Amino acid sequence: MTDIASLRPALAVAVAAAAVVPILASGRRPNVREGWTVLAAGGAFALVASMLPAALDGTVRVSHLGTLVAGVDLSLRADPLGLLFATVASLLWLVTSFYSIGYMRGLGENDQTRYFAAFAASVAAALGVAFAANLVTLFVFYELLTVATYPLVTHDETAEARAAGRKYLAYTFGGGVAVLAGTVLVAAMTGTTAFTAGGIAGLVDADPVLSRAAFVLLVGGFGVKAALMPVHSWLPDAMVAPTPVSGLLHAVAVVKSGVFGIARVVLDVYGVDLTGALGLGLPLAVVAAATLTLASVIALRQDNLKRRLAFSTVSQLSYIVLGIAILDPTAVVGGLLHIPAHAFMKLTLFFTAGAIHVETHTDDISDMAGIGKRMPLTMLAFGVAAAGMAGIPLVAGFVSKWYLLIGSVSAEQSVFAVVLLLSGILNIAYFWPVFYQAFFEAEDDHDAKPLVEFPLGGEPRSILPETPTPDSGAVTDGGHGDHGDHGHDDHGYDKHDEHGHDDEHDDDHGGPPADGWERRGWLGGESTWFMLGPILVAMTGAVLIGVIPETAVFLRLVDLIVEGATGVSVL
Amino acid sequence: MTDTLVPLLVAGPLLGALLTVAAGLLDDRAPPVVAVLTLVGQVGLAGWMGSRALLDGPLSNGVGGFVAPYGIELVVDGVSAVIVSLVALVSLGVLFYAVDDDPGGTAFYTEYLLLVAGLSGMSVTGDVFNLYVFLEISGLATYALVASAGTGRSAVAALKYLLFGTVAASLYLLGVGYALVATGTLNMADLSVKLAQVGYDSPLVLASFGFIVVGLATKAALFPLHTWQPDAYNDAPDSVSAFISALVSTVAAYALFRLLYTVYTPAFFEAVPVARDALVVFATLSIVVGSVLAVVQSEVKRMLAYSSVSQYGLVVVGLAIGTPAAVFGAVVHLVGHAVMKGGLFVAAGTVDDLTGARTVDEYAGLADRFPVLGGASALLMLAMVGVPPAVGFAGKWYIALGAVRAGTWPVAVIIFGSTLLTLAYFTLLIERMFVAPASPSVRAATDGGERGLDRPDRPSRVALTLIVVAAVAAIALGLAVTNLQVALEPTLDTLLAT
Amino acid sequence: MIELVTTRYAYLVVVVLLAIGVYTMIESSNFVKKIIGLNIFQTGIFVFFITGAYHVNGRSPVVESGGGGGPFVSPLPHVLILTAIVVGVSLTAVALGLVVRIHESYGTLNEDTLSEVLADD
Repeated sequence: MTDIASLRPALAVAVAAAAVVPILASGRRPNVREGWTVLAAGGAFALVASMLPAALDGTVRVSHLGTLVAGVDLSLRADPLGLLFATVASLLWLVTSFYSIGYMRGLGENDQTRYFAAFAASVAAALGVAFAANLVTLFVFYELLTVATYPLVTHDETAEARAAGRKYLAYTFGGGVAVLAGTVLVAAMTGTTAFTAGGIAGLVDADPVLSRAAFVLLVGGFGVKAALMPVHSWLPDAMVAPTPVSGLLHAVAVVKSGVFGIARVVLDVYGVDLTGALGLGLPLAVVAAATLTLASVIALRQDNLKRRLAFSTVSQLSYIVLGIAILDPTAVVGGLLHIPAHAFMKLTLFFTAGAIHVETHTDDISDMAGIGKRMPLTMLAFGVAAAGMAGIPLVAGFVSKWYLLIGSVSAEQSVFAVVLLLSGILNIAYFWPVFYQAFFEAEDDHDAKPLVEFPLGGEPRSILPETPTPDSGAVTDGGHGDHGDHGHDDHGYDKHDEHGHDDEHDDDHGGPPADGWERRGWLGGESTWFMLGPILVAMTGAVLIGVIPETAVFLRLVDLIVEGATGVSVL
Repeated sequence: MTDTLVPLLVAGPLLGALLTVAAGLLDDRAPPVVAVLTLVGQVGLAGWMGSRALLDGPLSNGVGGFVAPYGIELVVDGVSAVIVSLVALVSLGVLFYAVDDDPGGTAFYTEYLLLVAGLSGMSVTGDVFNLYVFLEISGLATYALVASAGTGRSAVAALKYLLFGTVAASLYLLGVGYALVATGTLNMADLSVKLAQVGYDSPLVLASFGFIVVGLATKAALFPLHTWQPDAYNDAPDSVSAFISALVSTVAAYALFRLLYTVYTPAFFEAVPVARDALVVFATLSIVVGSVLAVVQSEVKRMLAYSSVSQYGLVVVGLAIGTPAAVFGAVVHLVGHAVMKGGLFVAAGTVDDLTGARTVDEYAGLADRFPVLGGASALLMLAMVGVPPAVGFAGKWYIALGAVRAGTWPVAVIIFGSTLLTLAYFTLLIERMFVAPASPSVRAATDGGERGLDRPDRPSRVALTLIVVAAVAAIALGLAVTNLQVALEPTLDTLLAT
Repeated sequence: MIELVTTRYAYLVVVVLLAIGVYTMIESSNFVKKIIGLNIFQTGIFVFFITGAYHVNGRSPVVESGGGGGPFVSPLPHVLILTAIVVGVSLTAVALGLVVRIHESYGTLNEDTLSEVLADD
């Protein structure tokens, strides 16, 4: 692998960061402002993509930007692992930019200028995380990412949003402190923090107790953003943010920066061999396995669609961590490939949840019976992405899970293969009901949802259909009590372009109109193409990775990473 | 290297103070002009001397032609060059704010320049008794400045500060007395040699160390000797609290650094490890208690004041650990804290002028109304928390690295944990400013209407510029920290050589 | 013990002065008395320095032409304390000035009364 000096990695970060200024400056002219966002997203993606061919041939571009602290360069290095994350983040930023326009305008949200500026800043920080050449540079961007995302989490400025923001800062800065402590330990032990494929040589001879302590601090710190249990609970709360934020940041950029940090630590700081020798792989794998199972179980009982998706994210992120922690080359390939795979699938899912919210103000799954009539394309995309999540072939999730299974078996840790299969079943269990009731149930005639609506352990009526009142979906949470009072004619899709609905949709959980969902065609009549387009693009991406993983670059990139880190090529 | 111009660093502001009085007799509008001109000259001189000291090695001068160790010696080495330049720059910046915000009379500017003279003197003196005199000069000027708000409250705060400050300086003097009895000399360089000859475990030397440390720690407001400080910061005029929060304790902490490393030298710590341990415990306690007290404050200025207690704890921990990285980190944090805290106090003063808001809750919704002010303040707060790449991070990094290398694990844990405590009080404020509904005072300030007093409807340009400059400087310093390290390396290597 | 008292009594004076000064500053709630305590405290330190300068059979340090004529009392502490006294006087002046201001504003010099008044503000 040869390093060449190039400004491109720095430029990619700079393009995204610089976009903040014109976005803030053109706050009064929304079209110009969104033009800047799209331009920056396109530019950043073009720059990242332009580095891919050379990287696949083994050339790594490095930008040196000076010295950060003694002995630590502020430098950005577009190595395969960094490019993997950067490609996903910048490509999906472009997609999300269009979606954001549709979403934010559709809801007439406040402070859109701040939103788009913070979004650009967040992506810039995420790209910085991707390209960071050493732990300290990584830490710098990791913290900046936290700061840049905070305004997005608290975007609604409600008490709930503020509480979520507080929790978000407390958790992620807490994790940041642990990362910093681990970084300092590594620096003190080895005198360097630069990422080296296969691990930093100095750590092999270091005091094993300190090495373990540093590993726990680093992985624990990154684990906060990667939503490993028990430090995951900021993520479901952060779903109070606008849906594009939940989609790009809380399923792709932010959470993946945590996973990415863990990957860097295992592969490029400690190296697979040393991690195994210190006995650190198995505990991490156990934590990941526990997280992915528990989170799936919790997801079963979430009625709010975004919260269900959030717990699904918690679970899926642990797939990646598990793959890395098994320390087998094949499993690592599966784990890393799950970064783009999950990104495309989960983005699709969040986008559909957002589209439903914009069009019908419906957030709860129990209100979605029959919604397939109203939003056929959207719900179809949901179905495809959900199938991928469960690991059904031809969608991205299958490929990564395949490698994960092979890897865990060949590493003689078959128990994790069992966990993965079990989780696949749980995935179906919490995604299928959404799809099923969208297309196969009617508003006024749908089954009860035993897991969501009944007390744990079930009750006698669990096999009977519920009393068929239009508001039956309201059993789950207290917020629904007001449905009957103001009637259904003031919810819904026909209101979204009027002023004043802002106040309304806060206390309104949507649901079908009194006379049932209107039937819309399959040609995009259900929403604007600003939202439908991104949904279909993200879904197509997920399918492409599932059908032609090698042509879709990511698998080759992943193989290159694993070959560099372990010396074994899996393909 | 001998340089006859070194005394000008002290004489310049002193002369300026006299000129201010004379100018005040002629014309009421003249004193601020004289003060600004004096400090512009001071900035130039300090910058020139400082850069020479950093490039060519220490400059020194025996005042009045009396050679050291008999006469008083003034020395500009790398660290004092940094501090004296910091004093000049920050005092000039805050002076603009003072002129703009609450212009006082002749007395105010005279005291201001006297304070600058005292602080510059403390930065460059090479004589322990001379340090006492400058300590008292700056003390006297500070007491008068705190009381210059004209309220009864400020007089009480000033008197409280005076009593504490004088006892602190007296204890320092007592320590100097012990050292004098033990060695017969007052020159710092000479003392370092003679103290070693006397023996570090001599009761006289130990007593002198104890008194000096306690005296200077009171001036630097370490817990539990900090009780004068929140009142003084809170009740002083806005410009004065910005000035003293940025510089007075900073220079006291610098004096502690000077005494520890020029006079007692690392060899003392080697010989008497309990002294180091005691200092470390003292300082870590300060970090924790200062932060906790800051969290429970409702008034913003008091919160910032308690935050200083904690930050000086961090600085002194760095000094006490004594590895090169930790000491350098302490110096960086000293400079960084001055810039950040000064900027934050200017911001707090500006907010008070604009809206009358003084408590954390009253800050609600501020950033929506005054985005630049809010944004720059938030940047400064995050820098203070230690979010990279700002200078707060750089200082913390070096101190933590030093602590880890020295193997003082509990200290390392507290340093990392203190980040979270700092975060606790600053995020509360940031959240209020950015995402909470506007408080009545903030609303009144922007909607006009019942704006009881005649308040300005936007932040003054001068204040805004200062805050933005402070925010930019906090980041620039963070990025330039390795350059500073290269520049200070020779000085620190000499001081830390055992 | 007796010998200590007879030969080192000056140091005892120092300790007693310091103690009286600190006690007065802490115990008295009257600001003027606190300032008096401060002065006594400082005086203790002055005496300490002067005592340190003493030399048995020492003479005033006025060197005759041609040198010699010792032993002398060390002149250095005297000079230092002269400076310190000046500083002390200025401090007392400033402190009393502040006391006058406080009395004008609140009509009291008692610390406890004052903190009640301030709490009511």
